[in-house]
Amino acid sequence: MSLRSTTEAWGALARVFHWGMFVLFAGLIGVGYYMVDLPLSAAKMKIYALHKSVGVVMLVLVVLRLFWRTIDRRPASEPMSVWQHYAAVVAVVALYALMLVLPLSGWAYNSAAGFPLRWFNLANLPALMAPAPALKAWAKSAHEMAAVVFMSVIGVHALAALKHHFWDKDRTLLRMLPWRKGTH
Amino acid sequence: MRRFIVLALACGVAAAAAGAPTYPVAAGSTLQFQGTQQGEKFVGAVRSYDAKIAFDPADTAGSAFDVSMQLKTIDSKSPERDQAMQTVDWFDTAHFPLATFRTVAFRSAGTGWVADADLSIKGRTKRIAFPFQFQKTTSGAVLDAKVALDRLDFGLGAGEWADDSMVGHRVEVWVHLVLAAPAVSSAATKPQTKAAAQRPR
Repeated sequence: MSLRSTTEAWGALARVFHWGMFVLFAGLIGVGYYMVDLPLSAAKMKIYALHKSVGVVMLVLVVLRLFWRTIDRRPASEPMSVWQHYAAVVAVVALYALMLVLPLSGWAYNSAAGFPLRWFNLANLPALMAPAPALKAWAKSAHEMAAVVFMSVIGVHALAALKHHFWDKDRTLLRMLPWRKGTH
Repeated sequence: MRRFIVLALACGVAAAAAGAPTYPVAAGSTLQFQGTQQGEKFVGAVRSYDAKIAFDPADTAGSAFDVSMQLKTIDSKSPERDQAMQTVDWFDTAHFPLATFRTVAFRSAGTGWVADADLSIKGRTKRIAFPFQFQKTTSGAVLDAKVALDRLDFGLGAGEWADDSMVGHRVEVWVHLVLAAPAVSSAATKPQTKAAAQRPR
């Protein structure tokens, strides 16, 4: 599998971005729902710090991924109806938008709440804004809602991929699977 | 009745010890501390405190600072952090609502002064050196001080919170007291102080 995508299948880098970020987002969402209900403790602060640190990594990854997407080739679309094609485009745009909104809304919430942002105990990152109680609740809701919408769109995206694989029996799923060459 | 006598005696003793004029604390005064959380500095303010500042550079033996701080009024611009500070692991204000600061002796140092004082937080008392500047002004005086403390000396955030990189051990206390002119009666009984108060700066 080449690093770049071909007209038949996604390249190695596109697949690493896709599946690597899927695993990390799954972890972030799992940890995110777990950590909010913990009673206050030093351990809770450490878990939050980890969630934030990985979230910042995701922000960097999605920027790199978008950059790579602009210079990489793209496999030709499998035959599908026009509405399916547009639905897929909308889903992809939504997914990228959410991948940006999720870390940014988390960062904004953190800043509005006046919490520190220590990245893997290595460096402190600046706040996006001065502590603002009025914006804090808003940013928190945005972060939570973005997570719910993100999971929903991922669900639709995954179901669509499975539908292409089992119903249409085309190669939409195969050409993105991490262990498949996807070229034949 | 007996309680009243004890109180009267206590007041008498306090008045005798504080021969220096007592300056009422005026608006614009702040009692703050700067801590570090996960590598980031934050400032907390004690909103409510009671400070008796009796000071006379010429009569340090008769001078005394007696401060009590309502730790439930700490405001660090983060409701979560403020709530955490009230818990058993930190100030434990349910059991120790007050921190107290009482001077024992004064000595001059450079351009300012140093007070040896007993600082009590969370039931632990430590003798600290408290360097401060005391400047007479036309309306009274201004007292400024900055002193570094180790939070672990007072059992603040022990156990799982002891990690210095999570919450810094070193905490700086910043005192800025704007003091009004002492009551006239006090000055009248101390002619030398009155003269000092009128000395041009």
